[in-house]
Amino acid sequence: MITEEFGSGKRKTILTIILWLGFAVIVGRLYQLQYIYSAEYGKKSEENSIRKVVEEPIRGYVYDRNGKLIVDNRPSYSVMLTPIDFDKKNLLFLSQILSIPEDVLREKIKRARQYNQFMPARIKRDVDFQTLSVLEEYKEKLPGVKIQTESKRYYTTPARASHLLGYVKEISDYQLEKLGDYYQQGDVVGSVGIEAKYEKYLRGQKGFEFISQNAKGQMIGTFNNGKDDIPPKDGLDLHLAVDADVQALAESLMTNRRGAVVAVDPNNGGVIALVSSPEYDLSDFSGVTSPETWKALNDDDSKPLFNRATLTRYPPGSTFKMVLAIAALENHVIDGNFRIVCHGSFKFGNRVFMDEHVHGSVNIVEAIQKSCNVFFYQLMLKVGLDPWAAMGKEFGFGQLADIDIFEENPGLLPTTNYFNRVYGEGKWTQGYLLSLGIGQGEIGVTPLQMADYTAMLANKGHHYQPHIVDYIYNNRTHKADTIAYKKDSIQISENAWDLVREGMRRAVMSPGGTGWEARIPGIEVAGKTGTAQNPHGKSHAWFIGFAPFDHPKIAICVLVENAGYGGSFAAPIAGLCMEKYLYGEIIRTQPRLAPKVTTTISLPDTNVMHHVMLPSHIATVQKVVQPQTGFQSRRDLQH
Amino acid sequence: MNSFFKEYFDHTTFWTTLALIAVGLLSIYSATFDTQAGRSFEHQLLWAAMGFVLMMAALATPLRVIQRLSYVSYFVSLTLLIVVLAIGKKVYGSTSWFGIGGFGIQPSEFVKLTTLLALASYLSRNDISVGKTTDLLKACGIVLLPVGLIVLQPDFGTAITFIAMLLPVLYWAGASRFLIVALLIPPLIAVAALVSTTTFIIVLALAGITLYLLREDTFSSSLIFGVNVVIGIFVQVVYEKLPLYQQKRIATFLDPNNDPLGAGYNVIQAKVAIGSGGLFGKGYLHGTQTQLNFIPKQWTDFIFCVPGEEFGFIGAIVILALFAILLLHGIKLAHIAKNKFGSVVAIGITALFAFHIFVNIGMSLGLMPVIGIPLPFLSYGGSSLCSYMIMAGLLMNVYANRKEY
Repeated sequence: MITEEFGSGKRKTILTIILWLGFAVIVGRLYQLQYIYSAEYGKKSEENSIRKVVEEPIRGYVYDRNGKLIVDNRPSYSVMLTPIDFDKKNLLFLSQILSIPEDVLREKIKRARQYNQFMPARIKRDVDFQTLSVLEEYKEKLPGVKIQTESKRYYTTPARASHLLGYVKEISDYQLEKLGDYYQQGDVVGSVGIEAKYEKYLRGQKGFEFISQNAKGQMIGTFNNGKDDIPPKDGLDLHLAVDADVQALAESLMTNRRGAVVAVDPNNGGVIALVSSPEYDLSDFSGVTSPETWKALNDDDSKPLFNRATLTRYPPGSTFKMVLAIAALENHVIDGNFRIVCHGSFKFGNRVFMDEHVHGSVNIVEAIQKSCNVFFYQLMLKVGLDPWAAMGKEFGFGQLADIDIFEENPGLLPTTNYFNRVYGEGKWTQGYLLSLGIGQGEIGVTPLQMADYTAMLANKGHHYQPHIVDYIYNNRTHKADTIAYKKDSIQISENAWDLVREGMRRAVMSPGGTGWEARIPGIEVAGKTGTAQNPHGKSHAWFIGFAPFDHPKIAICVLVENAGYGGSFAAPIAGLCMEKYLYGEIIRTQPRLAPKVTTTISLPDTNVMHHVMLPSHIATVQKVVQPQTGFQSRRDLQH
Repeated sequence: MNSFFKEYFDHTTFWTTLALIAVGLLSIYSATFDTQAGRSFEHQLLWAAMGFVLMMAALATPLRVIQRLSYVSYFVSLTLLIVVLAIGKKVYGSTSWFGIGGFGIQPSEFVKLTTLLALASYLSRNDISVGKTTDLLKACGIVLLPVGLIVLQPDFGTAITFIAMLLPVLYWAGASRFLIVALLIPPLIAVAALVSTTTFIIVLALAGITLYLLREDTFSSSLIFGVNVVIGIFVQVVYEKLPLYQQKRIATFLDPNNDPLGAGYNVIQAKVAIGSGGLFGKGYLHGTQTQLNFIPKQWTDFIFCVPGEEFGFIGAIVILALFAILLLHGIKLAHIAKNKFGSVVAIGITALFAFHIFVNIGMSLGLMPVIGIPLPFLSYGGSSLCSYMIMAGLLMNVYANRKEY
């Protein structure tokens, strides 16, 4: 390659020519656009200016396991204001009609003007009919103010299901930044429950309409006869595993008490009911949530917004004894013939651990049936902390159950490492173990985890990921998209299953069993009661159970906070829910299924099962104390 | 004093720069005063003030010091590019920004300048010659290193500007016309192959003729021709294999009319804005397209539409004349500067300005594909305005030292 002289005059000339050529092309093009075709473009800019207008898709519907529509959409009316057309003289008048303070309204219009003064902006969502009719009346006097029809969530069944369904609300600035390009100010977004988890499917895809407008920014018609419009794609429908009737019954049974009911299908992990009591009214969130409603919900002592089914962390009490029993059998610490004699208390060191009754000589089946604490104190010492914790882990404790809503707590399953970390090595004694042996002390579980564990006891060790949504139905392709949920199983000997499950069967079905109040006419039920001591007040009542015993179709966990004995307060609720699910209705004619003295009373406020009678103590309104709220949801962990 | 100013102060660069910045500020004000970006004008005014200080600093720093610092600043800017890849924030789909306080800083704007300085430093050495393959490869390497990092962001528009600077600089430093043509043909062939097979064959034929006319030896000409045939066919095969939506994206890039309501929307609206401006424009703050915000974010890349619509053909010509004066002055400066380093710097800066001006305005006029690069001195943006003002300061510096070796 021959190199010419650096920066020669010839090179300067060539570069200069290239520059002139560039400018010539641009000037030529400008002349073409601004002189030759100027009139044409001028006309275009005056008449045929195209603007994109968003068309909202319809949010997906939600159905229960029987195909019953539970979340519907209903029309809702928003007041839209186009800043350029609005006469500022009307500010006070409009603020009075809409009952928005004048300065708030002024600020809203200012923001809308800054965004785009030619575009209608949403000033107030979901106005009532009275406001609508006033606006209609003064339509002529309020240029630039329009009514837009939108949709809002409407809940069709008596089931509130507030914690599992969740609500949608107007997107916050924080979410707007985090969730990305799809959303705009004023859009709604699923915020809790499945509305949040399945937001992507439910929301659908916005469409765009192309509108021609004139130089003053006024819309003059569709562009190109609407051929270029992109229609919105409606959201997908969710079909839940939930049975809306069982959900409604469980909610009504939990009325006026705090606690949770979680029922799952042990054959696939589908959540049949998930109640966190008190529930709240989702309708309060479907249009505009008033600040007063928010404040009332947030300040309520009973913490209605807190999902007790998946976030509370209580000791499970005696319902946890099966974990220890299986750990003992599987580690060959004992067998089915092993017996101890219960004198009603157990002395360890210089402390005495009490039992409720003197049970005499019991084997493992009887110990579960009668919930003998002395038996399990001794068993815990034989098994040891870590093998017990390992078995607990097999059943899903101390970890997230991975249900398909965001709000979840992993609970706490203590191990040697945990105690060493908290108390220091050598600073804790075997005495700590005894409480754990009967499900008390530092163990924390959620009702969801308990239902999950009950399902594994029911189906002999198959673990299905608990899930609310069964499948997603695509109403465009008319195809159902099933969701692949995780499943695995744990290896436990048939002998251990038989002994433990027999203990649970007898706990409900045999005389002397603690859980007899969970009985259902004509179906064998297995279960276990639990009464978790509570330093702040009355004990928490637990019951877990499944039915039918041979081929279980439902596994359930009931927690009633500060109620007392699990057998008296939680078991009857579980029995009624299982009966409703298995028969489709309540078939019993008497409130209690065992020959005991009862008082017949009517149920608390419920429109679901007005004819069903309950034991009197169940219907009593409980005086309750503060719930524990030292929780951490998965959401909190993520933030 | 007067004679000092006449001798050492580069009035041409100084006043054209200030005039262009003033036009930019007027346009930004018009495009934003009534929108959510209402504070853009004030921000840009602040940036211009800061840029003025930097411009004066670039003028006052001895050229020799700048030359000595060129490699250091080059390596610092490479480091910055790597850091921005690791921790930068995403704006319009590429990770090229640092967020400092409320402002974003885009290092790649400054890297254009530091890369040019390093290249100029290298080419002004007396012991190298662009005729030697190893020296030539080293010179190309200086530019391709930051290009690689910017492509990773990914910001292809900015990456292309580096190449657009490299070719004129190599030519200025003595590379043969054959070499420049050989480097220029592959991208042209690739684009032609995407447009259509006929275009590909026509461009290939033209390339063949050029290579034959400028041939140094028949073998290299044939080799380069062969390589380009392969490139063209390869591009076509890859294009056919792409999913439909990506093919559509490329087609829209080449011709915005293919997608009038999506990617082509901006270009069509820009053409309407400029075209409807006519000979004399619609008057300041009275451009309907501008005031109705038809062109999203037009105060950045599509800023030329604002004076185009509001001041018309006459206004556009005045802006083009200012640019032309600046660019022709830049070439003249490169020619008269006795200092080799200063000469390469001047030609590089002029090349950068020219490429940005032609591509940006060409884009607004529907002549060029939409590459997101700013219009020097006019587009809104602190990093770009400051870096262009530093470049103007350097031109003035070269002018002041033009008689020194």
